[in-house]
Amino acid sequence: MPDLQRRRWANAAAVYCFLLLLSILFMGPFLFAFLSSLKDNPTEWPPSLTVNQLRPANWAASYRLAKQGGGSGLWGGLAPGGSIDFEITYWTEEGREPAPPEVVIPKRVQGGAAAALSVEHWAADYVEVVGPYEISREPDQGGVLTTYSFTLVNKGDVPLKEVPMDLTVPMRQEFVSATLSPNRIERLGRTQSWNNVSSGLLPYVFSNYARVFRENYSVSTGKRLFLLWIRNSFFLAVTRVVTTLVFASMAGYALARLRFRGRNAVFGLLLFSMMIPQQVTFISNYLVLRDGVFGLSRLVGVPTLLNTYSGLIISGLVGASSVFIMKQFFERLPASLEESARIDGASTYTIFFRIFLPLAKPPLGALTILTFQGVWNEFFWPLVVITSPADKYPLTIGLLNLQRTYGAATFDWGPILAGTFISALPIIVLFIAFQQYFVEGISFSGNKE
Amino acid sequence: MKRFCLALVMVLLVTSAAAAQQIRIGGHGGNDTIIVEEMIELFVRPALEGTGITVQYEPVADDYQRFIVNALSAGTAPDLFYMDIFWAGSLIRSGAVEPLNDYLEKSTVLKAEDFIPSLVDAFTVDGQVYGIPKDFNTLALFYNKDLFDYAGVEYPSNDDTWDTLYEKLEKVASIDPDIYGLALQPEFARFGALAYAAGFTPFNAEGKTDLSDPAFVDAFKWYTGMAETGVGVMPADISQGWGGGALASEQVAAALEGAWIIGALKGDAPNLQYGATLMPKHPETGQRGNLIFTVAWGMNAASPNKDAAFRVLEILTSEEVQQWVLERGLAIPSREALADNPYFQQDHAEAHANHVVFLGASDGNVLPYSFGTYGGDWMQPIDQALAAVMSKQATVEEALQQAQAQLDALMGR
Repeated sequence: MPDLQRRRWANAAAVYCFLLLLSILFMGPFLFAFLSSLKDNPTEWPPSLTVNQLRPANWAASYRLAKQGGGSGLWGGLAPGGSIDFEITYWTEEGREPAPPEVVIPKRVQGGAAAALSVEHWAADYVEVVGPYEISREPDQGGVLTTYSFTLVNKGDVPLKEVPMDLTVPMRQEFVSATLSPNRIERLGRTQSWNNVSSGLLPYVFSNYARVFRENYSVSTGKRLFLLWIRNSFFLAVTRVVTTLVFASMAGYALARLRFRGRNAVFGLLLFSMMIPQQVTFISNYLVLRDGVFGLSRLVGVPTLLNTYSGLIISGLVGASSVFIMKQFFERLPASLEESARIDGASTYTIFFRIFLPLAKPPLGALTILTFQGVWNEFFWPLVVITSPADKYPLTIGLLNLQRTYGAATFDWGPILAGTFISALPIIVLFIAFQQYFVEGISFSGNKE
Repeated sequence: MKRFCLALVMVLLVTSAAAAQQIRIGGHGGNDTIIVEEMIELFVRPALEGTGITVQYEPVADDYQRFIVNALSAGTAPDLFYMDIFWAGSLIRSGAVEPLNDYLEKSTVLKAEDFIPSLVDAFTVDGQVYGIPKDFNTLALFYNKDLFDYAGVEYPSNDDTWDTLYEKLEKVASIDPDIYGLALQPEFARFGALAYAAGFTPFNAEGKTDLSDPAFVDAFKWYTGMAETGVGVMPADISQGWGGGALASEQVAAALEGAWIIGALKGDAPNLQYGATLMPKHPETGQRGNLIFTVAWGMNAASPNKDAAFRVLEILTSEEVQQWVLERGLAIPSREALADNPYFQQDHAEAHANHVVFLGASDGNVLPYSFGTYGGDWMQPIDQALAAVMSKQATVEEALQQAQAQLDALMGR
């Protein structure tokens, strides 16, 4: 008996191990990419797990520094008259006299020349450095640890958002630690460099995320593009969900429950349109939109539907597969429901809205999720239809634009990774919240849209 | 029905009249969006005040070349658009680009002679100018001063030949086995400048490519030889994507790059103490070689508002706009007069490097970065040969033989 039990336990353990392995396989790359999206250098090789942005000491320091500077601890900033105390420790070998670091506030902004156009006030013009002073010296493993302290003061009358800083020491004086870990170490170890010492906690930890929002703005409207892109995608997805629900349920009901001439022909056409690959109808769809649906849109004064949301929405009002899902569902409902309602004197519309629609919550839920997910991730069609300005892009096209912004000469992967993560978030939330509908949606249609 | 038709015609007339003076400009997305829109805001709008001409920039997030070719053939292309030297030739030959000679003759402010001749030549076909260069880039030798100081070696200079440069790089590379002299991308886009210095031309008198040309072999051996001796290294071998990345990693003392490296270094290695010099001279010919990378403004031959578009073109390529672009460090201007601009004389690395790249366009054997109708297909066999030799998968002779065979097949098509 104990033998059997042991075997049963062993089986269970094997199954769990297998599942664990699978989930690590699937989640591993995802977590790794998330980790990389926080790093200063996401492509560092070999990759390390000790990320500056994930060290609690740095969290505390970034919060404290921003708070001390008179800004918000979470969001950062150096207020007029505000100051920041900074300490840094170097190691020098025995017999070599340690030198105080040269502190420079450079005119620098992340995101290249285009980002520099948007800077109103350079910290370099306002911040004064007081110090550095040597505050302690203690022997350590054949050398000396020397700590210096200095203060950055905002002498201007404007609050500063970004205060970059560079410290340079002579060769062979090694950096050990600082109030806040530097973003990079350069010049064979001589220079320690910070992007922003008054960043505040959130922009410090999620610096790449903050960059995506900050560095993509529209010159003509001055708005943050990334927020606009998210809003556009939401708008398109919600609109398409609504039109899909309305048209798919009505068409599905008509095909399943109403007897009219040509019903089978319509259903046949529907099936036929599902069999044609998208690529085949692609050019004709484009031409239809270009001419404003055979010139109809000219009646309302719009010469073409290209580069408009109306074009995107009209060309995607409802998909044949959504109608199919609803038809299959309505067909399975018992005929007696409809018949008894008819006897009570209900019209077709009453039956549809009062009886069938409330019963159809599960397939409508599934359709909502599948459509939302489909539209949110839609790439090719919006790329062709929506061309300019950048304010109009949905998020997927915006991400492509990020690739241009940060991939001009060398790939700045940080913001690209961060942008991709933000775009994946709504779908992940949706998936976790509505898991069972996803599965149902797949079992309704037999295939995922 | 009659009334309906009438209404339709009316609507048509109204919409076409309203759209008459809208000039659409097509260009790259990303950073260019912000730069061009700022340019329009600061210069174009004020200059066009009262003329009824409005300007809209249409950035292309996707592959730009594909977009413009499709848009031109679909009839939806903007009135003015970016035209990269790399593929401008085939676009011009297709007849989709408006020749500008007539406009230039009439214009009082825009003259082709004001621009650097090698740039204008690159967009001239059969005596007709098809594009006004907006900016350009050439290659220069960018080096890390710290590494040269550490090794106690003199910085590379404009007097360096291949031989003297090699000696300097060799000394720097001897500091440490993990430090190399030159970043060697296996690409004609870098190596080509050296081949041109030796006297190679991509197409000989019969329009064929001859890789057995002693000039080509000479340059090929010098370039790949550095990988063998460890004086140079392919960026991929130190897990970097390109020369700029390799330079930023401080494992490589020098790289052959254009001014685009400046912006990249600002982001990746803002404190790197770099310098730039002209490309080294070939020891025997005494010449430098270089490639010109440039983008021009082209006009859509099917544009309904060509005169208005040319008016906008005049402003976009005017001296004040180019001066603004230069001073912001956004690009290197194509106007010859800006050679003496005070910006270039400033005492900092960025201005100096920009000046070196500017001078590169008119020193030695300089050819545009374009290969007839073959485009990138022409470079591919050479790139492969470079990579094969430098990763020790083939000898120089084998690799060149194979590349020659591929090129013959390409040209025989």
